[in-house]
Amino acid sequence: MSGFLGPLDADGRVPPQQQTRVAAFLISAHGALARQYALVLPLRIEAAWQTELNAQFYRESEIVSLLQRATAWVPDLALGYMAASWEAAWFAAPVEGIADTARAPAVGLATLAHAVHAGIRPAALLPTEASAADPFVMALRRIEFESSRLLQAQILFLKGPDLVPSRNAVSAALEKRHAEVRKLWREMLASIGIDARE
Amino acid sequence: MPFLNHGSYRVRYELDGPADAPAYVLVNGLTQYSELWAAYRDALLARNFRVATFDLLGQGVSDKPALFINQDDHVAVLHRLIGELGEGPVFLSGISFGGLIALRYAIEHGQRLSGLVPMSCFAELSPQLMLIGNALRTGLILGGTGYLQDLLLPMNLSDKWLKPLLDKLDSVKRQGWLVNDVYALQNLMESFLDFQPLTARLSSISLPTMILNGEFDFLTPRALHETLRVEIPNSALVIIPEAYHAFTLEKGALTADLLARFAEDVLAGRWQGNKAVLVAPDEPGGEITPFPAGYDHLRAIPVRRAGP
Repeated sequence: MSGFLGPLDADGRVPPQQQTRVAAFLISAHGALARQYALVLPLRIEAAWQTELNAQFYRESEIVSLLQRATAWVPDLALGYMAASWEAAWFAAPVEGIADTARAPAVGLATLAHAVHAGIRPAALLPTEASAADPFVMALRRIEFESSRLLQAQILFLKGPDLVPSRNAVSAALEKRHAEVRKLWREMLASIGIDARE
Repeated sequence: MPFLNHGSYRVRYELDGPADAPAYVLVNGLTQYSELWAAYRDALLARNFRVATFDLLGQGVSDKPALFINQDDHVAVLHRLIGELGEGPVFLSGISFGGLIALRYAIEHGQRLSGLVPMSCFAELSPQLMLIGNALRTGLILGGTGYLQDLLLPMNLSDKWLKPLLDKLDSVKRQGWLVNDVYALQNLMESFLDFQPLTARLSSISLPTMILNGEFDFLTPRALHETLRVEIPNSALVIIPEAYHAFTLEKGALTADLLARFAEDVLAGRWQGNKAVLVAPDEPGGEITPFPAGYDHLRAIPVRRAGP
C-alpha cells in the first residue's frame, strides 16, 4: 500500500476510481456541515458572530460544488453502502458534561467541523508528480487550504472563554469526534489502496 | 517504532546505542520532527553515546491533542523518556522551543541530568520575540504550514545554505509540511499564551550548561542567551560563527561535535563554565576560543565593553 494517491497516469492525474471515492467522502463530510450550518443560519443576522456562520455555510457549499465539477467520476457500486455509513456518522452527537443544553448542539457541530477541517488533509495524499494543471489536484489543494482557514472559527469557539468551565468535556468530545472521522477517512483510503498515516 | 504513553496520548521516540553508555536526549524545535536529528544520532553513536530523540506531543508521528497542548505535558513526556534511560549519565539538549522545554526540565528535574545544552533558546518572551511569535502564528493561520515554512526558512538559515536549494525549496519543505498539521502547530504556538518567564528560576540550575547561540540569530538574539549565561552559575555561552537560529540543521557536524566535546569534558571533570563567552570553531574538531577580551559580545560591531 502507498501513502499517496496513484499510480498517476502519464499526465499526472489521479486514477478516476480514487478520485470518485475521495470526492464522495469529502462531499459527504462537507455537505453534512453545509446542511447543519444551513439549519442554524438565521434569515436575518442579528449578532456579529453569526456572520461567521454565513461564511462557513457558503464555503462548505463551495467545496461540495467544486468537487462535483472537478472530479472525474466513474461508477462505484460500493459507494452506496459506504456513503450510508458516512452519513450516519455526521449526525449530531450528544456532548456529555455540558450543562447548558442550549450550547451543547453548537459544541457538537463545532467538534464535527474541527475534526473534518483539521483531521482530513486531502492535499497530503498527492504525490509530488501530481499535475498542478489537473482540476482534481487543484481542488484537493484548495480544500485543504480552505479547511485550515475555516478551522479558525471552531478553534476560537471551542477555546473561547464561554467554554472554559466545560474544557474537559469539550476536549473529550472533540478527541472522540477526531477519532471517528479519522477512522472513516482511513477506512475509505484503505479501500482504494492507500495507507494513511496515523 | 516505539511509543511512550502520556495519559491517553502516544509519543513516538527512538533510542539507539549501548544501554550502559552516557545518553544524549535531543528535543525538537517547533516545526521539527525526530528524523531531523539523524546526523546527530550517527555522530554521537560514533563517539560512544546513547541517543534518544522523540516527536513532541503535536508533532510528527506522536499523537496530536486536538485543542490544547500544555508545556507541562512536554516536560512530563521528557521525564518519562529520561526514565527509560536507566541510571547512567544523561545530557539534555534542545533547540528553540525544545530548548525551552529542556530548560524547564533542568529546573524541575536537574538532579537527573549530568549536563544541559540549550540552543537558540530563551527564558522569557522579549517584546520582539513575542511580536514575531504572534506574526508567525498569524502567518500559520492565514497561510497554512507552507507559509510558516516560507517565513522561517529565510529567517533561520543562511544565504550560503539556501542558495543551492532555491529551486528545490518545495522538496525541502515537503516532509515538514506532510508531518505537521496546522491545528497541532497552532496548539503548540498557543501554549505560549500563558507562558511564565523562567529567568528568576534559572539560578537553580546547578548543572554544567553549554549555551549555543548562532552569531546571526535574530529570532532569538544574543541578549536572550545572555540571560541564560548570567543566571545559570556553571554555564558558558558558545557563539557559533556565521550561524542563524536553525544552526542545528545547517551546521550539524559542528554542533554534534560540540555536544560530544561538552559531554566528554563534563564526564572527565574538565568542564568549567565560569560564565565564559566563547567562540566555536568553523569546523568540527577546531579550537574553541575565548571571545576577544575587552569587547562587548552583545554588540555586532566591535565596541569595547564598558568598565564595571
